[in-house]
Amino acid sequence: MTQRYPAGDVPVIELKNVNKHYGDLHVLKDISLSVRKGEVVVIIGPSGSGKSTLCRTINRLETIDSGQILIEGVPLPEEGRRLAELRSRIGMVFQSFNLFAHMSVLDNMILAPVSVLKKSRREAREEAMRLLERVGVADQAKKLPAQLSGGQQQRAAIARALAMRPRAMLFDEPTSALDPEMIGEVLNVITELAQEGMTMVIVTHEMNFARRVSDRVIFMDGGMIVEENTPEAFFSHPSSQRAVDFLQSIRTPEAL
Amino acid sequence: MSLSALLSQYGDLYLQALLNTWRLTALCYVGAFAIGIVVTVLRVCPVKPLRVFGDFFVQVFRNIPGAAMLIILVYALPRLKIMLSYEMCVIVASVLIPSAFCSEHLMSGMNTIHPGQIEAARALGLTFSQMIARVVIPQALRSTVLPMTSLAVGTMLTTALASQVPLRPNQLELTGVVNYINSRAVGGVLAFAVSAVLYVSTALLIGWIGATIDRKVRILR
Ligand SMILES: Nc1ncnc2c1ncn2[C@@H]1O[C@H](COP(=O)(O)OP(=O)(O)OP(=O)(O)O)[C@@H](O)[C@H]1O
Ligand SMILES: [Mg+2]
Repeated sequence: MTQRYPAGDVPVIELKNVNKHYGDLHVLKDISLSVRKGEVVVIIGPSGSGKSTLCRTINRLETIDSGQILIEGVPLPEEGRRLAELRSRIGMVFQSFNLFAHMSVLDNMILAPVSVLKKSRREAREEAMRLLERVGVADQAKKLPAQLSGGQQQRAAIARALAMRPRAMLFDEPTSALDPEMIGEVLNVITELAQEGMTMVIVTHEMNFARRVSDRVIFMDGGMIVEENTPEAFFSHPSSQRAVDFLQSIRTPEAL
Repeated sequence: MSLSALLSQYGDLYLQALLNTWRLTALCYVGAFAIGIVVTVLRVCPVKPLRVFGDFFVQVFRNIPGAAMLIILVYALPRLKIMLSYEMCVIVASVLIPSAFCSEHLMSGMNTIHPGQIEAARALGLTFSQMIARVVIPQALRSTVLPMTSLAVGTMLTTALASQVPLRPNQLELTGVVNYINSRAVGGVLAFAVSAVLYVSTALLIGWIGATIDRKVRILR
């Protein structure tokens, strides 16, 4: 499962034998994974298999019990300023958007660039407007998050993460909280990012999107990486029985 | 004594007392607010001993009667060689007790914040203090304007503790002034009624200000 890289090509994200427990529950079992620059890795698997937990350990929103996580070759610091600094290099997009409810969309965009990256407000605002333009919500900049549709909020949340000029982006089911008619607009933004070469780890249940956008699919079950393959190979002839069953189960109910 | 006689003789004193009540209330409320915020930050900070201290502070001052607090300040502090004026003892009591309630309101205000926003702040690389100052406290404040308004009224009523210590006539507040008048003339219930009307009017004014602020800052969700 380990991959070989040309000398000097440090993976953007690297997990080595990561283990995590919630009490007695072993949620991540000896996970090893590297994501190269520009690579799009999609994580799929049944509910409770540990996908979110894996995603959240990468920027240490969750701590781990053993193993190592490296960002551009640097081990994640334990706590404090250095951890905050490293986190700021990894963008994260959540299922529930998580825009700051008391600030306009524009203020959401400039908070971290100004207070973490120490950019001037003017510079941060210009960059923010450029990004909002790009994800198609520039006309909503002055509004509060609650005044936007779910799809607009999620696009703004992606723009907010991009404003930090991240080295990689993590998405945890970015479209699962959206009404069906808004899923497309968000997936389009993510697809564009993929085409521009953004390094991404995406947890999703959107199989067509996964197949289209990913360079590599990781199938998790019971806290383990059960299968890791190219999207073509994974979706057309999965090698593990569990992956076969999973793909069956999600295809059957929505086979339109 | 008729109302007109009462007011013609003691009107100036009532006015002075009203202004003193306002001054004490404003001063103590600002102090309570500042301490309340600091204690609340301690109660949620990553350092365990500070959290314990914050909780302890709130438990102590939330559960101590104002009169008992005042007695402690007036009689116990001098033994520790800390000499405070009587008025200062009243101020300290009227700051510390409301500060505990202020912190309790802020804690409940924080609970209205979606935890995802905290995660988003951390994921963006904000430090704990940046997150508290820019994301947590502003939202906690906006969602607790009405309880904080009640707290301002409560603080005003707590300043009536000043009637329990000897003060110069120009330091009297609305409750103390009633004692003063009744010890000199037969103001009776009427002397209380004047102060009561001034208390209630002030409370209504505070309530109106609070409601206005609340409409402006309440967070759409
Ligand atoms: N904070 C927590 N405390 C205890 N158990 C947790 C916690 N968070 C998650 N779990 C458990 O860990 C397991 C993995 O959870 P996780 O959220 O990573 O799954 P997932 O693959 O993302 O599932 P889903 O597709 O439903 O989002 C689940 O059994 C979940 O109940
Ligand atoms: Mg999940």
